[in-house]
Amino acid sequence: MQPIRILTAVPICDGHDSAINTINLEFIRHGIEVIYLGYHRSARDIVRAAVHEDVVAIGLSTYNGGHVEFFAEVLDLLEQQQPSPPIKLFGGGGGTITTEDADIMCKRGVDRIFFAGTSLEEMIKYVKTTFGETAQPAYDSSIANTDRHLARLVTLAENQIQKDGAAKGEPVPGTPAKVIGFTGPGGAGKTTLIDELVLRFLRTFPKSARVAILSHDPSIVGSGALLGDRATMIYSQDDRVFMRSIATRGVAGGLSSATTRCLEVLIRSGLFQAILVETVGTGQEAIPFGIDKDLVKQAVMVMPPDYGSRLQLQKIAMLDVADLIVVNKSDMRGAKTAVAEIESRIRTNRKGQKLLRTQANRHRDPNVDQLFNLLFGTQSSTVKMVTSAP
Amino acid sequence: MSSIGQAVASVENYRRYVSEQVKKARSDREYGEQLLAQWGDRKAKIVTTLTPTGLRLPRLALPDYDEPGQIARFLAEEGFPGEFPFLAAAYPEQYLEPAVDHLDDHGNGERKHTAEEPTRLFAGLGLVEDTNERFHYLSRNQRSKRLSTAFDGPSLYGVGAAADGVFGKIGEGGVAVDTVEDMERLYAGFNLDQPNVSVSMTISGPAPIILAMYVAAAKRRFGSDVGPKLRGTIQADVLKEIQAQNELIFPIEPSLRFLADMVDYCSCEMPRWYAISISGYHIAEAGATPVQQAAYTLSNGFAYVEYFRSRGMDVNLFGPRLSFFLDCALDVEYVALARVSRKIWAIGMRDVFGADKRAQLLKLHTQTSGRSLIAADWRNNLTRTALELMLACLNMTNSCHSNSADEPFTTPSEEYARYAAHAQAILLEESGLFKHMMNTLAGSPGMKAIGDAVEEAILEEFRQIEEQGGVIGAIERRYQRSQIQAAGHTLERQIYESVRPVIGLNRYREPDDEWPEVHMIRTSNDKKQLHLDRLHEFEKRNAGESERCLDRLTDVVEKGENVFAELLNTVEHCSLGQITNRLCEVVGKFRPMV
Repeated sequence: MQPIRILTAVPICDGHDSAINTINLEFIRHGIEVIYLGYHRSARDIVRAAVHEDVVAIGLSTYNGGHVEFFAEVLDLLEQQQPSPPIKLFGGGGGTITTEDADIMCKRGVDRIFFAGTSLEEMIKYVKTTFGETAQPAYDSSIANTDRHLARLVTLAENQIQKDGAAKGEPVPGTPAKVIGFTGPGGAGKTTLIDELVLRFLRTFPKSARVAILSHDPSIVGSGALLGDRATMIYSQDDRVFMRSIATRGVAGGLSSATTRCLEVLIRSGLFQAILVETVGTGQEAIPFGIDKDLVKQAVMVMPPDYGSRLQLQKIAMLDVADLIVVNKSDMRGAKTAVAEIESRIRTNRKGQKLLRTQANRHRDPNVDQLFNLLFGTQSSTVKMVTSAP
Repeated sequence: MSSIGQAVASVENYRRYVSEQVKKARSDREYGEQLLAQWGDRKAKIVTTLTPTGLRLPRLALPDYDEPGQIARFLAEEGFPGEFPFLAAAYPEQYLEPAVDHLDDHGNGERKHTAEEPTRLFAGLGLVEDTNERFHYLSRNQRSKRLSTAFDGPSLYGVGAAADGVFGKIGEGGVAVDTVEDMERLYAGFNLDQPNVSVSMTISGPAPIILAMYVAAAKRRFGSDVGPKLRGTIQADVLKEIQAQNELIFPIEPSLRFLADMVDYCSCEMPRWYAISISGYHIAEAGATPVQQAAYTLSNGFAYVEYFRSRGMDVNLFGPRLSFFLDCALDVEYVALARVSRKIWAIGMRDVFGADKRAQLLKLHTQTSGRSLIAADWRNNLTRTALELMLACLNMTNSCHSNSADEPFTTPSEEYARYAAHAQAILLEESGLFKHMMNTLAGSPGMKAIGDAVEEAILEEFRQIEEQGGVIGAIERRYQRSQIQAAGHTLERQIYESVRPVIGLNRYREPDDEWPEVHMIRTSNDKKQLHLDRLHEFEKRNAGESERCLDRLTDVVEKGENVFAELLNTVEHCSLGQITNRLCEVVGKFRPMV
């Protein structure tokens, strides 16, 4: 049995996330995989994410009013996308949604509205009984090249259900996607860095160029997962970006057992110029992309400056394997020391590894520009950088 | 050490000072006698008043101390109302009726009111005209017109009514304001240049833009020299947005800079305006415990002061223009939470930042707890609010908003907004609890015990924050957010498991509890369209000027000049959405924390 995957969010111009935070945690406790998109999200962002994540349902928590119109807009956009089976929409808003509102919303196609006083048990029971048996068969090939088709192939690959060699077969002609892996300990700022690189991608390349993100979050076997990377992303909420979140479902080391298969699907689609793979926050021993990095073209190790002592640095295996090492949060105390220590740590490797310091949370950080140029070969470098001699 | 660690040290020092004072009063005979004489003197000077039933009472009751040590402790630890450390109250007299010395044959004395009522009711619905009408209704019986403005979602997020996918949100949960012209209509009929009118605006992310519109609109109505006459408050608390309320637009650094520009400008040009309201309300509503609410609010306050000073601003100039906003719910901490907060703030401001008396005052607005109101058996909310109101007044809040009982369902209806306002009048005017004496119920051993426990718990939170490098460091580690969320989950679980009684919900539940027939306040699509049409018309009419204004604003941002001063020009020709978009291009967007 595969876990139920649902997407939750709070509508645009609404920051009331107290209820949804509690509900998310209860869902996870009961084995549901929740992709959380965060608050102040537009209907367009919500539907795009739901289609990419190929969820069975969307749950919205609203408190600022305007819910009748907002839910209708989500349904309109969902209907344009025509996912099969249809992605169901449910939600709640404490006392702000009246029974009359709920009648209108349900007539319009909302599956269920929860009123004030509904127990968490009741919501979980609803999700489990309504969506527990939802089958997600492959689409027929007449809609190939659509995001929903691709998303379903990823679902099938993730669940190891492959029909008619959906994930195999001849590669699609066109520029092969450049796969770049991002790894590093939790809190290093991988998600922010990726989002900033996506911004630069969208600005640099023509409108036809698309990028995919495959993002991992940890979960243990048989339990749910909170897949929350999307919630902190700003620029990756864009039609040119295909983003998919994967729970590791008990696999250690940074990736899921399905990563290779899912990645294969994305590569073969021929839709993307680049695919960015983000691991979960990793430990010292992790080498998520393998020693030979057969999964990715380039592997980027993102480090926070506060990794501990110099001795700890010696134990981090990825520092021997990564093509690029980024010391992010370079505004933090100790960043200069970190760069110096890592530099001497990798110098002996003699692999031509590059070392950069970035501050991804700074607007237009020139060092992120530099990283982007290095990864995408767009411009010659102007920022000083350390390279360990080959 | 950040200002938070220094604040801890200053309060600990102050405790030592109190003990030393007590010791000195007891060992130094001359000093002791001096204190006894001073005490007797103060007591003799206290004015008495007659109640309508003819009872003569002192306007301030002092304990029967006749021993110098006790007197020293009282003076240093609590102080008289309006005196350091301001535990009792920020001002010598609040809520009191003028003293009466003679009653006529009918038991009437001459009572002429001069002070402002603390009542300040939050309102915002639909279009500016609707809210304007509500303002006139709510303040029709008040001597002082104290207005408080709630904005709708598109305004709070600065995206404006024309943004993609926000049509349904226009005028919902607050008023839609997009232009300086909306601002003119919003307060029409109120003499903003008069001392009996003050206007509060609850908005933080786009606060500098919104206040610039307010000032520009006031100048259009009352002349270009109206600035120094304007009285009011704008929330503008960006730190609590990151910690709890999630309505921030720009990244932390530019948000703080825009704020400082506004505070700096207002301190000099609009000396009667409060350019920030350091708020715990939303922190508490997001689930924080009372102690967390006070600790995060006060530490945010100290962080602002530290930041403003680092920009070279004078603490004695901006300090008196800081104001505070706390939640008041039913937990026992609320018996003393605001009192203790006032004391910690005063000590910190004096001893960490060297602030003078006016800058030491924590001036407080309180709102009763919205989270405590529930849909089940909802008329009980009247009782909850009344009790919270009493706790707020027990803490001598300077202004107060009482919630309407129908708020679990809707923006307050006129009827329940009236009951909410009347609850304050019943407490302060009808009942004798607060109008005759400053401290009818204050100073009990129980209140002191609660206060002491709360004070120590707040300091412990400060220490946690200091360990993470101060407020900003803790924010970047998600410290306050995760603490608030965890407390919120605990609260919900306690309610769900009936550990925490909520009458009508997990106790004494009515089997056939009906939904109320409350009148829902909604904004019709016609009105939403009208607002949007006005916005489009404004943008079209100003199309020739707007781009130039935005370029000049960009220039000011990039050169590091005062952004608020320039916004006063920008808003003449640009809408909220246009300005926000441009500023986001220049300084970036806030990356949400979850």
